[in-house]
Amino acid sequence: MNYGFLLSDYQGPVGPVNGADVGRSLELMGKGMAGIFVVMLLIFLVIVALNRWTKNKD
Amino acid sequence: MSQFDFLLHGVSGVTPQMAVMWAVGGLLIWLAVKKDFEPSLLLPMGFGAILVNLPYTGVLGDNGIIEWLFNKGIASSEAMPLLLFVGIGAMIDFGPLLSNPRMILFGAAAQFGIFFTISAAVLLGFPLRDAMSIGVIGAADGPTSILVSQVLDSAYKGAVAVAAYSYMALVPLIQPFAIRLVTTKKERSIRMPYQPDSVSKTTKILFPIIVTMIAGLIAPDSVALVGLLMFGNLIRECGRLESLSKAAQGPLANLITIFLGITIAFQMRADVFVRWNTLAVMALGLVAFVFDSVGGVLFAKLLNLFLPEGRKFNPMVGAAGISAFPMSARVIQKMGLKEDNQNHLLMHAIGANVAGQIGSVVAGGIILSLASNFLA
Repeated sequence: MNYGFLLSDYQGPVGPVNGADVGRSLELMGKGMAGIFVVMLLIFLVIVALNRWTKNKD
Repeated sequence: MSQFDFLLHGVSGVTPQMAVMWAVGGLLIWLAVKKDFEPSLLLPMGFGAILVNLPYTGVLGDNGIIEWLFNKGIASSEAMPLLLFVGIGAMIDFGPLLSNPRMILFGAAAQFGIFFTISAAVLLGFPLRDAMSIGVIGAADGPTSILVSQVLDSAYKGAVAVAAYSYMALVPLIQPFAIRLVTTKKERSIRMPYQPDSVSKTTKILFPIIVTMIAGLIAPDSVALVGLLMFGNLIRECGRLESLSKAAQGPLANLITIFLGITIAFQMRADVFVRWNTLAVMALGLVAFVFDSVGGVLFAKLLNLFLPEGRKFNPMVGAAGISAFPMSARVIQKMGLKEDNQNHLLMHAIGANVAGQIGSVVAGGIILSLASNFLA
């Protein structure tokens, strides 16, 4: 996917900025945060289930 | 006189960049000794920074002990940071999280600083590979930062390690500032009664096993990090391996910490460390910590929109979802008491804080998984 439309290339204070990289970093943010929330939500469900199933066992 | 030139051989090899690194090493040792900032890591790193920046130093090169430790313990296998996770896992009591599981969501939200910083680093002109390594400073978890920057082969591994540990020590200064930016006094005064569910031993034993399986199935690259963390925790919770649990928490963790700090100094050689971009990495590390806290707080405020009175979160608890344990939880408790001397948030904050330990390693693993697509 071409994200060049998000930002044109320019010279940043540290080095040349590639517009496509900016788009990729935003995609990374979306996918990364979604991934973490999915894992943590699953863990949440596991804890709730474990707490319910083992309530009177020990 | 020329017969004694060998005595001046080392002195003549000193460069201004080496002198800068001696000052950096001295600063880290001062922070460790005088200010008690993460002394177990900053002191070995500070001494190591001096050691590897002596001219013609014998600790580098084919027969140099520091280079050997780095190549074997970090570069080729990431063994040191990973083994340290066994010790960390054995130290963590997930009880406050298991008894109050909704806190786990803050362990996800407070990783926002990682991804915000990646974008900020790219906007400044860092290549995406280095930006991802810099962002992981926001994991607020030294071993994860070291491991991810190493696997991604970032040009800023040394700076990332120094920033990760330095800012972890500065959590008591950074978090109150960040939290006040996005909360009102009324929000900081929200009371949260603590009514934990009881947690069975079976739950405590099954938890590390199931979490490892979930992380392994969803984000396979996180399984080394999560797996060894949870292995350490299983040793702790199984109830049959008390001596191993103590060994993991004490001697194992201490031994690796000693060598990890001094080995990381291999990346603090003047030729790779002394450049203007290192300052940018340090600044971005601070941004990562601030936006982690902001992410956690704003997520708590978002949840509050849907929760009835009496069930609302004190948004400060969201900021405890970073991995810096237990400093962050203590900061939240202290800030809560400052606004209302009867508002004890400690146990909620500890729940969020241990969730942050899981969240940070999952974030590290997810970044490694995504890197294989984004950097291909």
